[in-house]
Amino acid sequence: MRYKNLFLAAAMSVLPLAATINAAHAAGTLTVALERDDGSWDPIDTFTLTWGRIGSNIFDGLVQRSTDLKLQPGLATAWEFLDDNKRIRFTLRKGVKFHDGEDFNAAAVKFTFDRLLGPEGAKGPQQANYTSIGEVKVVDDYTVDFILKSPDPVLITKLAGYGGMIVPPKYIQEKGDEYFNLHPVGTGPFKFADYKPKISLTLEANPDYWGGAPKLSGLVYRFISEAATQVSELQSGGIDIATLVPISLIDTIKGDPKLEVESITGPDVAMLRFNNTDGITKDPAVRKALIQAVDREAIIEQILQGNGNPIASLQSSLSLGYDPNLKPIPFDPAAAKAALDKAGVKPGTSLELSFVGTDATFREVSQTVAAYLQAVGINASLKSYETNVYYTDIIAHGKTGSLYQFQWGGWTFDFDNTAYLLYHSGQFWNPYIKDAKLDQLLEAQRSTYNVDERKNILGEVAAYAADQAFEMPLYNGNTLYAINKRVKNLAPTPDVRFRFVDVSVD
Amino acid sequence: MPAYITKRLLQALFVVIVVTLLVSYAIRLSGDPTAMLVSGGAAVTEQDLQNIRAGLGLDQPFHMQYLNFISGVVKGDFGKSFFGGTPVWSLIAQALPATLLLSFLSLILSFVISIPLGIHAAVKSGSWADQIVRILSLVGLSFPNFWLAIMLVLIFSIKLEWLPSSGFLAYSGLVLPCLTLALILSAVNVRIVRSAMLETLSAQFILVSRAKGLKDRVVLYKHALRNCLIPLLTFVGLQFGDLLGGVVIVERVFNWPGMGSLAFDAISSRDYPVLQGTITVLALLIVLTNLVIDIAYGIIDPRIGRK
Repeated sequence: MRYKNLFLAAAMSVLPLAATINAAHAAGTLTVALERDDGSWDPIDTFTLTWGRIGSNIFDGLVQRSTDLKLQPGLATAWEFLDDNKRIRFTLRKGVKFHDGEDFNAAAVKFTFDRLLGPEGAKGPQQANYTSIGEVKVVDDYTVDFILKSPDPVLITKLAGYGGMIVPPKYIQEKGDEYFNLHPVGTGPFKFADYKPKISLTLEANPDYWGGAPKLSGLVYRFISEAATQVSELQSGGIDIATLVPISLIDTIKGDPKLEVESITGPDVAMLRFNNTDGITKDPAVRKALIQAVDREAIIEQILQGNGNPIASLQSSLSLGYDPNLKPIPFDPAAAKAALDKAGVKPGTSLELSFVGTDATFREVSQTVAAYLQAVGINASLKSYETNVYYTDIIAHGKTGSLYQFQWGGWTFDFDNTAYLLYHSGQFWNPYIKDAKLDQLLEAQRSTYNVDERKNILGEVAAYAADQAFEMPLYNGNTLYAINKRVKNLAPTPDVRFRFVDVSVD
Repeated sequence: MPAYITKRLLQALFVVIVVTLLVSYAIRLSGDPTAMLVSGGAAVTEQDLQNIRAGLGLDQPFHMQYLNFISGVVKGDFGKSFFGGTPVWSLIAQALPATLLLSFLSLILSFVISIPLGIHAAVKSGSWADQIVRILSLVGLSFPNFWLAIMLVLIFSIKLEWLPSSGFLAYSGLVLPCLTLALILSAVNVRIVRSAMLETLSAQFILVSRAKGLKDRVVLYKHALRNCLIPLLTFVGLQFGDLLGGVVIVERVFNWPGMGSLAFDAISSRDYPVLQGTITVLALLIVLTNLVIDIAYGIIDPRIGRK
């Protein structure tokens, strides 16, 4: 029976490793799980939310958003529009230093935007957002002028975005862009300390931060792409904040006395868009009837478990252009049936619904929508695709079914971004809609600086799109994240760019 | 023997070229990485997309892209990730050790579990111990590996808080993924050992060695086991291939920074250079593993080497 001993020995050899190792809760260090590793920490290389969650703590823009999304001074203390809005003059904050000791001044601002608008910026996705800037002129060490070559009413908002974050000229010129990608230096509350590709990024507090020294000593971002794995790490104390929270696990998290779930209104909207060029959905009356046939409130209550709001247009209540008077078309299957009859759609007519198969929540939503359509005599067949194929081929090249899933985060909190991309003719993700009135409205709001006027035009865009029933707006899903209660003073921010300056841990 | 190895190495080269050619071509048929890079940009024009494509070298015809890749590989340069520009080689240099460590340990642990159990079950064939081993093996075969992984996490990380639930931040992070893979592998291996052992034990030479008065241990481990190793080894070659590619689901559940996760992410984001690099290294390793196993046959059973 010696092999029995062998087995025991093997078991014993594993056990010492199992001695309680819970490296998580180091004093003063907070650990956040993010779903992806963007691989570069240069502000002009990316657009992703995960980047923003990190980059916003390393870099500052001239303008910032407060936790309630109001624009406020960042590295610029004031700005004014001159020469009939063709020139913006920024007064810069004095006494700010980059993490490497370099001074922040007008030259750094000019360098940042020359780089963004030059060949280095052309390689990345951020340049397109800032093309209205013709030139940045240094007036003195702490004053710069932005000369605009075309009107851009959202420019100040965009300067609070990623691409306009200020980078250190001397450091980048000496070390090169590639080095900067992996060893970022900014003016923000945390400094880069260590990066292990696909595993983790570690930052340490910048005690000289102009906005006050952070209370945390360090910040660790771990890259965990599976939502369930993030939640089990949160439960076992390996992380403090999970940024991917599956709806099915909300109750489990809430059941743990150490943890809590934050569910706040964010900019994410989900919809089923119609192919308005072909088949029965060519007729606006049919499109409206199909919207009427689906109980969207029930979807929010049952599938999202209440973590969302009904929408009448493709924006949340936080968005500029949102009109509370525009109401969703009510659920009314009888009226839907009558309208379909009137439009000559025979019971048993079939159509295809395309969606992304890996999205578990939306799979349920699609099945529910199909059941509602069945109830008014429409047979919807579900067809699922892989994410990349779906967005870059099926949608972009107009190969969808009559109904197709689209989800969009209006992270600029301005309807312009979503509306232009989804309604203006010729846009990458708008294969079907070519409408002269929409084009004209969308262009008009881009050329005025009057906020009220823009709001009115964007409201008109939303009302017109709802009247034409270009899509079935489903819901504005909440931004969800789960945190360990040892994290104190973390303000819930709809833009998910966590601000950790005032946060502490027990 | 050297002629044989040379022939096998040439075969390996051929396999790597065919595999990378197929993978590189297929991934380009299914989506465009530039669109992923710019999604979320406010007003992307076709010109922006073309600029980015040119920057990444995607404006060239496929055969040029593939030749550039191969000539890079020959020079030891696997290119750079589309996302962030990290050199592919440094990503592989980090993922490969994590995968090799996990694969080797899981295999060894599965031997430690399955060989004694398999032999015991064969020796006591028909006994209650044999029944239990066979039932457990059947249960193990029917488990989805991710379910076992989740259960282990639930018990050892969440309830007992002994072990980290994911990642490879410390060696303790190895225990759960290693245990998951080892248990799943053992379920198969124990059956192979048991049936091979049963066959061997009925052979004449076992009767002879017992008749000579050899000890039980010597009969089982010296004479019988060696004859059982050939089928096990064949199977291990296949299993090792699977392990190297990362039992992707297990790697995902445990957020293991191995080759499987690297390839999976590269496919999802259409990061061609990373995918091509990963597949090249994996294909090479799998071919080499099989070569090593072929040579090992000869060592375990000298009759094969002499042929």
